[in-house]
Amino acid sequence: MAVVELQKLVKDYAGFRAIHGVDLRIDDGEFCVFVGPSGCGKSTLLRMIAGLEEISDGELRIDGRRVNEERAAERGLAMVFQSYALYPHMTVRENLAFGLENIKTPKDEIRRRVDEAARMLQIGDYMERRPKQLSGGQRQRVAIGRAVVREPKVFLFDEPLSNLDAELRVVMRGEISQLHRRLGNTMIYVTHDQVEAMTMADKIVVLKLGTIQQVGSPLDLYNRPANQFVAGFIGSPRMNFFEATVAEQARGGIVATDEGGRRVEAAVSPERVEPGAPVTLGVRPEHLEIGSERGHPVTVETIEQLGGESYLYCRDSNGRPITVHKSGQTRIRAGEEAKVFLPAEAIHVFREDGSALERLRIGEEA
Amino acid sequence: MFKPLTQAVQLGYRTAFNLFEWPMAGAQRLVGISRVAWLFLLPNLLIFGLFTFLPIILNFFYATTGSDAILLSQRPYVGAENFSSLLSCTDYLDPNSCRRDVFWRAVYNTGWFVVLQVGFMIAFSLVTALILNRDIPLKGFFRGVFFYPVLLSPVVVALIWKWILQRYGIFNAGLEDLGLAPVDWLIDAHWAFFWIIFVSIWAHMGFYTLILLAGLQAIPSDVYEAAEMDGASRFRVFSKITMPLLMPTMVVVVVLSLIRAVQAFDEIFVLTGGGPGSATTLILQYIYETGFASRPQLFGLAAAASILMAVVLLVLTLLQLRATRSQAEG
Repeated sequence: MAVVELQKLVKDYAGFRAIHGVDLRIDDGEFCVFVGPSGCGKSTLLRMIAGLEEISDGELRIDGRRVNEERAAERGLAMVFQSYALYPHMTVRENLAFGLENIKTPKDEIRRRVDEAARMLQIGDYMERRPKQLSGGQRQRVAIGRAVVREPKVFLFDEPLSNLDAELRVVMRGEISQLHRRLGNTMIYVTHDQVEAMTMADKIVVLKLGTIQQVGSPLDLYNRPANQFVAGFIGSPRMNFFEATVAEQARGGIVATDEGGRRVEAAVSPERVEPGAPVTLGVRPEHLEIGSERGHPVTVETIEQLGGESYLYCRDSNGRPITVHKSGQTRIRAGEEAKVFLPAEAIHVFREDGSALERLRIGEEA
Repeated sequence: MFKPLTQAVQLGYRTAFNLFEWPMAGAQRLVGISRVAWLFLLPNLLIFGLFTFLPIILNFFYATTGSDAILLSQRPYVGAENFSSLLSCTDYLDPNSCRRDVFWRAVYNTGWFVVLQVGFMIAFSLVTALILNRDIPLKGFFRGVFFYPVLLSPVVVALIWKWILQRYGIFNAGLEDLGLAPVDWLIDAHWAFFWIIFVSIWAHMGFYTLILLAGLQAIPSDVYEAAEMDGASRFRVFSKITMPLLMPTMVVVVVLSLIRAVQAFDEIFVLTGGGPGSATTLILQYIYETGFASRPQLFGLAAAASILMAVVLLVLTLLQLRATRSQAEG
């Protein structure tokens, strides 16, 4: 069991800085997900923790001990790779045993641990096969098994599900979560898929261009994104954004005017913003109300009816796209005009620098 | 710029198609659509048949006939006499006890040459490839340096080394300059044999280094990272990851270099001429000298010897085919 601490961690490549002084504490037994668009440095950060990339500056501590100089294997970590990275010439059993043989574990101890991992991951039936004879999901299980048998302090996962098809991804997502519950180890998981982050994490770390944007629980990030980037990244479909100007500060929020001159009330703290300041309003598709008498006039362009829920892709008079998510079915047809209402308590307000104003009333989801 | 170019290419294609249309149509009418393929193969079949397949057949006729006459019609049939002459020894380990002692000396020389040249060359190639596969400075330059001799004509290779190694060559000049006694590198039988191995390693190892390097680079880097996470020592990474994954490439390299070593001739012929005596005479040179360079020209004997050699090469080639096939299947 282990606490992982990152202190001002920096990674420099020749002529460019990939990680800009990252501070982070991952608690014992926590499932921590690094998420961000490609190129944000999440994999680099994981590989620095693993010991596969040198740390240019700053300190990495595992259980309080500085491990910057220790070899990957000495840090007590195990990693599951995106490509699985199984040894192609070894059988599944040999793949699992290799790490234990390296540290001269007694034979029957190896046998016991390998068999236990095989049972846990249900790979016992193909222990004598080679990776090539396995399906993607089976390979993934073997890769996880290889990490499990080493009984590491911390598990590292580098986009482990990105090579699987959608259906299998959901299954494996559940299995990794279950593994975490059963073993209780600290786990660090890298993904670019915010659904994986939301469903699996105790703690999500959102990264962009080598800096942390926000750290928090999945619902924290959903309800109180620290800035426009996090707001746009977490949640699917993406949050809708509107340009606006602050008209007045009021008790219980602010009033802003949008590009069409319409007044919009937002239940956010008025402290860090002055009247006349340009702001960006954000509303999640699921919080927009469509079909009421009030609100923005929009044209519905496309409708996706899934039965249990509907997605309406609209455009307002300024040509700005607006996505509306409605639970249940809708009678609105493509091409029709409709009104979209922005409820005050669902509106996020971002200042010009992207930072969010504190929301005062978080509706039913709080 | 781009668009006119595409148009020109298209025009070129259209002209070419138009140009070939009527001869193609004519040929199809003449021989039938399914036989047009043979028409296309005909030039190659003729050349291959005339210069490769026919000589192979003729070789069997020469091997079973005697005398020094060059026309088959004037050569008497002798059955397997050429073969039995080559293979008659009282003691197969002692070439002097054989009827064709030079043949057996050449066989033994070739055997030693193959074992030593291939063994050392592969060891050196592997070490070189392992070093060149790492992040060393001037990597591209060194890769070029090791490959460069492969581009040289074998005769040039031999002449360079002859110039270095001969009695008044640059090597001995250097030794004398250091106050050491000069050595007859190409006249002493043991040294001469050492140098033909050395020179052919020098001339060919770049090729095998390149193949092994390609094999090393085909090993995915994430496997090495996984091994690092698994705490494998450098030795275990080499013995348990690198070598097994390099094995298919290694088998191809071994068989290819074996075939080439059995066929070795040109560099050695120019460098030592097979001497001193027959100390560096290999099997191919024996065949050449028996059939063409000596009087009387014993075509039958040479043909028989080349058939025996072909059997060895055939076995090696089958091994190579199996190796490359299993590598392709991976």
